[in-house]
Amino acid sequence: MIRGLIIINLLIFCLVAEVTKSVSLATGNKLAVLRFEGWGISDPLTIFLTEEFRETIRELDVFQVQDRGITNEIKIFYPLKKDYWACWSEECVLDLGKRLNVNYIIAGNIQKKDGDSFLINGRLFSIDMETLLSEFAMNSSGITDSLLLEMKKMAYNVSGLPIPDTLSVGSDTSQVVITGDLDRKKTWFKLPPIPSKIKALMMSTALPGSGQIWAQKKYPGYGFMGMEATLGTAALIAYIQYESSWGDFEKSYNAYQNGTDPHNLILLRPKVIKYANDTRKYNAFMRNIRSVGASIWIVNMVHAYLVAPNDDFFDGEYFFDLEYQPEINQFQFNVNF
Amino acid sequence: MLIFNRSKYLILILVFLFSCEEAEYILDNRSDPANMDLVPPALFFHPPEIDVELGADVSVQIYGLELLPASAAHLKIKYDWGMLEYNSITANEFFTGINNPVVVDIPEQGLLDIYLYYLPDLIADQSEGGTWPLVTINFTAYAEGESDLEFDTDITVLKDFNNNSVLINEFGMGKINID
Repeated sequence: MIRGLIIINLLIFCLVAEVTKSVSLATGNKLAVLRFEGWGISDPLTIFLTEEFRETIRELDVFQVQDRGITNEIKIFYPLKKDYWACWSEECVLDLGKRLNVNYIIAGNIQKKDGDSFLINGRLFSIDMETLLSEFAMNSSGITDSLLLEMKKMAYNVSGLPIPDTLSVGSDTSQVVITGDLDRKKTWFKLPPIPSKIKALMMSTALPGSGQIWAQKKYPGYGFMGMEATLGTAALIAYIQYESSWGDFEKSYNAYQNGTDPHNLILLRPKVIKYANDTRKYNAFMRNIRSVGASIWIVNMVHAYLVAPNDDFFDGEYFFDLEYQPEINQFQFNVNF
Repeated sequence: MLIFNRSKYLILILVFLFSCEEAEYILDNRSDPANMDLVPPALFFHPPEIDVELGADVSVQIYGLELLPASAAHLKIKYDWGMLEYNSITANEFFTGINNPVVVDIPEQGLLDIYLYYLPDLIADQSEGGTWPLVTINFTAYAEGESDLEFDTDITVLKDFNNNSVLINEFGMGKINID
């Protein structure tokens, strides 16, 4: 059994290494890791393992791994499907890959078998070549740390790199390494990532419609952008006319105030009134545009917030998280301020 | 938190209420005929009140307010000859066309007869009317006091090219204060 696993791993390693080298020269190396599907294991654990897998591949620096937030935005394309990550067929993955604008996609699942043993399945697809590059499976038995270790090994395999000894030796060493990794992450100061909804809100606050466009709601985004641009242009034209009228008003009014010739004064009087009315008219128009523009702006902000993908907050990086504690082999709910 | 709330409201208020300056004006120039309480067509002295120093030359215009077209005018002016000495007279724009108007002055003590004529040309035989000065009268102030300037309303008249009188509803008064 162990021999078989080693042979499969070596085969996968050779295949993936070769494919990566030959393809990455011709194509890009953007990789999206879809959330693994968990069969018989909890959602938080699946998410945690997927993210560890993703992080390990990213650290190996072979692939340019797409951020979890962006990858999870495939919800945008499949908003009605709860199990959107269960994208296992070539057709589904290729479609997603094109939408996510990546060169490779990894999809997989983690199955709980009898007792404490798990089976991890993964598939590496090339979007550019529109084919399944490799399929890999790994067995893990015993504690959850072993599962994590297998995920890390799989990351090395996928990246076409040899699995380091620290991961290959016994489970005790592996546990130390993993715990060390977790500690190291906590040691480094890292600003918390901006949740997608807040990011979309901020983008649309800065530039109306940009948040929606970022969230793949292009038509509403362009709509908001266009409306604000139209209103802005109208306001600009009104402002230019206001400025012109204001200049004429000041000129006429100063001439009226300093004038002594009744003939000139009688001509200036209607001009002063006209230009003053013009400035009021354009000012009122600008005020209306401002009100309408501000209202649309606010609606645009709210809309951007609503249509942006909803991040999963249980990943230990947001204000509150559900974090796996290997020391006690339990999940812990934390609140971060 | 309170500061944040106030700032938030302030930003909202600025967004909704901030606007360009409104044009405010008061049309209270004393030389503006609209402020003279005259019913047009009218004749008036401009400026209506003048302060001068003793021995100084002073000029006052006879102005027409929304006058109808006219070909000639006879203006009889009363002034205090004990304070003001008449010097000269100059025709102004009202009767000026392609040709310059003819002005004839016959001064007496305290009275001044002014005859003005529009010289016809190929285009027009009378002025266009409107609000224009008719003549400028130049005096020298030689005694302290207040001198009223008045039209002799029985004599003063404007005529059109058919020698018909032109309507004048009101005559304004003038005053020269000599210190």
